[in-house]
Amino acid sequence: MNPQDLTALTRRAMLGRGSLGLGALAMRSLLPADDPSPRRPHFAPRARRVVYLFQAGGPSPFETFDPKPRLRELQGQDLPASVRGEQRLTGMSGNQSVLPLAGSFTGFRQHGRSGLWVSDLLPHTAKVADRLCVVRSMHTEAINHDPAITFFCSGSQISGRPSMGAWAAYGLGADSRDLPAFVVLVSKDAQRDQPLYARLWGSGFLPGEYQGVQFRPGSSPVLFLDNPQGVDGIARRAQLDALAALHRDQFAHEDDPAIAARQAQAELAFRMQASVPEVADLGSEPDEVFELYGEGARQPGTYAANCLLARRLLERGVRFVQLFHQGWDQHGGLPAGISRQCKQTDQASAALVHDLQRRGLLDDTLVVWGGEFGRTAYCQGKLTATDYGRDHHPRCFSIWLAGGGMRAGHAHGSTDDFGYNITEGAVHVHDLHATMLHLLGFDHEQLTWRFQGRDFRLTDVAGRVVRELLA
Amino acid sequence: MAAAPIRALLLTLLTSAVTAQQPPRHWAFVVPEKQVPAVRDDGWCRDELDRFVLAGLEARGLRPAPAAERELLLRRAHLVLTGLPPTPGDVTTFLADPAADAYERRVDALLASDACAEHLATPWLDLARFADTYGYQSDFECRTWPWRDWLIRSFADDKPWDRFVQELVAGDLLPDADVQTRTATAFWRLHRQTNEGGSIEAEWRHEYIADRVDTFGTAFLGLTVGCARCHDHKSDPISQRDYYSLGSFFAIDEAGLSPYSTGGIPQPTVRLATAAQQGEIRTLQRAVSAAEQRRDQALAAARAAAKEIAESSSGALAEAWRAAVEKPVAPAPIAHFPFDAIENGKSTDAREPSRQANVPAEVKPASGARGQALALDGDARVAIDGLPAFRREDAFSVQLWCWCPDTKERAVLLHTSHYTEDADTQGYQLLLTDGHLDWQLVHHWPGSAAAIRSKAPFPLGRWCQVVATYDGSARAVGLTLYLDGERVDTEIVRDHLQGPATVRKLELGGRDRDRGFAGGSIDEFALFDRCLDAAEVTLLAGRQPDATAYRDHLARGDETLRTAEAELRAARRALHDLVDAIPELMVMAAHRYPPARHVLRRGAYDQPDLAQPVSADVPAAVLPFAPQWPRDRLGLAEWLNSPRNPLTARVVVDRLWAQCFGRGLVGTPENFGTLGEPPQQQPLLDALAVDFAAQRSVRQLLRRIVCSATFRQSSRATPAQREANPHNTQLARGPSFRLSAEVLRDQALAASGLLHTHVGGPSAKPWQPPGLWRDAGVGWGGADYKPDDGPNARRRSLYTYRKRTAPPPNMTALDAPSREVCVARRQVTDTPLQALTFLNDPVFTECAAALASRVLAELPDGGLDGQLVRVFVALAARAPRDAELAALRTLCATAADRAQALTLAASTLMASDAVVVLR
Repeated sequence: MNPQDLTALTRRAMLGRGSLGLGALAMRSLLPADDPSPRRPHFAPRARRVVYLFQAGGPSPFETFDPKPRLRELQGQDLPASVRGEQRLTGMSGNQSVLPLAGSFTGFRQHGRSGLWVSDLLPHTAKVADRLCVVRSMHTEAINHDPAITFFCSGSQISGRPSMGAWAAYGLGADSRDLPAFVVLVSKDAQRDQPLYARLWGSGFLPGEYQGVQFRPGSSPVLFLDNPQGVDGIARRAQLDALAALHRDQFAHEDDPAIAARQAQAELAFRMQASVPEVADLGSEPDEVFELYGEGARQPGTYAANCLLARRLLERGVRFVQLFHQGWDQHGGLPAGISRQCKQTDQASAALVHDLQRRGLLDDTLVVWGGEFGRTAYCQGKLTATDYGRDHHPRCFSIWLAGGGMRAGHAHGSTDDFGYNITEGAVHVHDLHATMLHLLGFDHEQLTWRFQGRDFRLTDVAGRVVRELLA
Repeated sequence: MAAAPIRALLLTLLTSAVTAQQPPRHWAFVVPEKQVPAVRDDGWCRDELDRFVLAGLEARGLRPAPAAERELLLRRAHLVLTGLPPTPGDVTTFLADPAADAYERRVDALLASDACAEHLATPWLDLARFADTYGYQSDFECRTWPWRDWLIRSFADDKPWDRFVQELVAGDLLPDADVQTRTATAFWRLHRQTNEGGSIEAEWRHEYIADRVDTFGTAFLGLTVGCARCHDHKSDPISQRDYYSLGSFFAIDEAGLSPYSTGGIPQPTVRLATAAQQGEIRTLQRAVSAAEQRRDQALAAARAAAKEIAESSSGALAEAWRAAVEKPVAPAPIAHFPFDAIENGKSTDAREPSRQANVPAEVKPASGARGQALALDGDARVAIDGLPAFRREDAFSVQLWCWCPDTKERAVLLHTSHYTEDADTQGYQLLLTDGHLDWQLVHHWPGSAAAIRSKAPFPLGRWCQVVATYDGSARAVGLTLYLDGERVDTEIVRDHLQGPATVRKLELGGRDRDRGFAGGSIDEFALFDRCLDAAEVTLLAGRQPDATAYRDHLARGDETLRTAEAELRAARRALHDLVDAIPELMVMAAHRYPPARHVLRRGAYDQPDLAQPVSADVPAAVLPFAPQWPRDRLGLAEWLNSPRNPLTARVVVDRLWAQCFGRGLVGTPENFGTLGEPPQQQPLLDALAVDFAAQRSVRQLLRRIVCSATFRQSSRATPAQREANPHNTQLARGPSFRLSAEVLRDQALAASGLLHTHVGGPSAKPWQPPGLWRDAGVGWGGADYKPDDGPNARRRSLYTYRKRTAPPPNMTALDAPSREVCVARRQVTDTPLQALTFLNDPVFTECAAALASRVLAELPDGGLDGQLVRVFVALAARAPRDAELAALRTLCATAADRAQALTLAASTLMASDAVVVLR
């Protein structure tokens, strides 16, 4: 192999051509072509990376983080009109002749020194209660899945906007020579009740290098990572050397620095062919790690395996890892459905927090857990002694955050006795985004991209940093 | 005393002086004019446009770049005009052609090719947010490709641009409208549509109109009209009122949701009948009309005969008639549920004991109109299986006794649809809406339905008998409502039933996720397999019909009449069978029942500002709407095509320029407004726009551009030149840009000989990694992608099937948009995933291997160098330089055999600048 050829080319170009040197260009190859200066943080960041455990479908707060004992007392009674107010309902329950209140089937207990309330369905999460900052007063705008999850992941119900991971990658750049800045992991063991879309991790109008790269389970986690049949590592290296030679000659002829950038990307691709399988291979992890995350982590593609993989990606410099776990859309059969969801995700979510902490990574890693909206206090469909369902509810729901500058062992905000309206500390999706960017060192109003002649940002024209959540 | 008026006068004068001193209008809102500049070096110019470029260069003291090498120019012309590379044969022929017009002849041949039409269509697919699926949530498949065929055909015909615009905007309203011109208007229906359960239809209807307005702004005006949705545009003269006024052009009679379960196509639609089918339809329509006439004549004759018999004073016949009239017989239903007994949640059909109604526990027995009735809670439904599924040419009638407690905003009394919600409603139904009774036959609500509504409110607090009849005509006049035996005065709500009203099951008292008959009771449900007449309905109500009505009723027994009715039904059935089997395409159609529209506060669908009603209008700051233009999409097309419209021609010219140069003359092709980048070559843009508006030919404009001296320049530049003008806005060098996703794949297919050049038709499914649709978590639409076998997998990329929520990964890696919204300019990025795609995606590596085999077959005895040169020329359309050949030779030395060597060489070249970039 002749990497020195390229190096020589690079050096010559740098020495000979001044500020537009090839080396500089190659190094900034992960930055947009129109904007050569890296974005410096606006202030000292509290977090350097994010792992977002997205629970798609809308987990019910009544069975997870927001206990409402009063609902049990009012079981079966119609939701008072005064509580509902002007709230629009979906077409699924909006035509019901009654909206019977449904108490939670599950118990709640206080945990840790903080005394944080956690449902009995989440025993592992309960053990890291003192690390969590639970926000019980999230609210959003959309009431159906597609617009709501698009809104949560990109700050707009209108598609075509960059996802939050893309914004983070745009702001933070890459911290790894050979891994993408934004990686997406979708659980394969989830109940696929509501679909996910490539747009949720797309780059919108930001350059394509900021879009999330989905790692799929198996030996070839990234599309087109494997050499074609008959091409081994030696042949591929020879190809890259030939490509470098071709590009050297083309550069000599065309004098276009973009040629060096193209070569640099090919070299990065070559490194990824080694680094991606390495990071995705969990085989080197000791048994105690699988005990921590759960035996499910031995099965590639499960939520547990993805949590473990997320930790490995973060360790290697990936800036934003977003997990998606579907199946939280319990319109009916909620007790069985949400029990399954919690069982699938509880241990690994808690393990990730614990694992990051013991490795000293939690301090500057922000962990977020939550879905796109909440669920109704009343039952959708038939309320029986043992079964019920809940419709979508955008007015209030619970998420939790941990690490990277968050208050620990803290519950923020509150909802009324019905869990229908926020009574204190409302946090809008835009506020959450503003807060996340703040922790990463960015003023959400300043991290912008000019498109169609307008400066766009993740928080549109709103958003407030929720300082009450910060440590 | 005089001071005050004088002060007022002064103030007025001052104010008008301020008004007169307005800043000059933004360039893009001023009608373009052409002023050809003088240049010193006339000899360089090949086209008038070169004078504009040269004048700019001369003013800066610059010189144009030398002409590009001929083989580079040939490649350039092939790629920008057709998106396909020249073959090695093309290169040889061209280089050997000494004629002065060799290049121009080549260009003319390229412009006339199908490949050119396909390549011109591709950017319009981005503008049209064209895809093969609806795009939201379950992301089901929708039929859209006939629109792409229309697009390709339009470019192949070099359709005059004003006609292109007319068809696209108002093809359904043209005096010569036909299936083709209606197909053109599918452009406005290609936005994403949702079928997510629980979505609010009205909200989505507004979203779709918003998408059409945004697309209209971007595609035709190059303006960000959508910014005025929530407030007046911050920088351009487009008010919020303008925005909603524009939207009025695009309001159609649509549901808001796409159907989840019926497989129906969102209305309005056009049936894509071939010419032969159109002929057949006309024949069958004539047969139906003739059969209707025969039926009418037979009916008149039968009634006259009955009258004669009845009025004749004697004879056996007359006696028999009188006996019949004296003892009228009520019509016999084919099903009758008196609900007098409920056992184990079942109630039995009095006509057919094996048939039962399922009565859930929430439905309680109550005292009825006759015996026992069913009291409903608004949620639970009474379902009856096994009833005949009438078709729309079948006559039938329904009886239901109802007791309604209060004025219902909406309540389902009876329906026959399979699933929930309006978009999934099919069949017949009785509803209460705002207190009035609805009787409907629905294919797809509201665009394809026949529906009537009682003018008087439905009686409250007493039992009344509802009879609803239908005569099999598929028209609203064929629907009739009776209350307590009396015909009800009704109005027509919809009269456009265009497809099967398929009956799935019958439910009484409610529907899943809909509002039921809460607090109401129903009784005596009966179904009749004929259209009851007035006399029969009176009898059902327990009263005696008058003699004339009953005589007319008896006349219906006439043998000739019955035969005529059967023939009419058969004729209708034949017509429906033919029409229903012809695929539909979503299109635009004038709204027969246009709703009042208002400015929406903050853009919210449920916040109309009633003080601000709007009707169809355009942003006057661009060009006021002329009074002679019709206030519909035809008029909107006139507005776009007006020579006074400052934007239309500029936007088209700019886009075609971008196709040739990789970048438009306006740096922000999606925004010609005040916040966009103004063109650095505005005189050039304007001159071309003026010429285009006069000639209206895409082909002529492209020919001028690619034959110009400006286009023929070498793209080489020194670092200083690049630094001085990185985006080449001065045009002091030729074009150079990375090829698009589609062109890169098509180039590989073409060079390797694998390309299948079939033009038009349904989308093709090339290979993609298995499991992507499933792994992406794309839900219930959820079957995985199945690649096509054979040549269909190797068609040009504009035909590649596009599922919006899981687009083809190699196209995405190479910056193709997801087609969720209108896109006028693609980002061009450079990522490692692109290198992985070129080197590892089987779509590309298959091409490399095929090219290697092809060269080996063509040059079996040639040395390695000769074979490598052939590979290189096939991909890069030029001979390799020595260093390039040497690099490939070194690579080949590592291979086990010649085939692998050439495959490695081809694969490597596919990732190289010489192939990936147009220079």
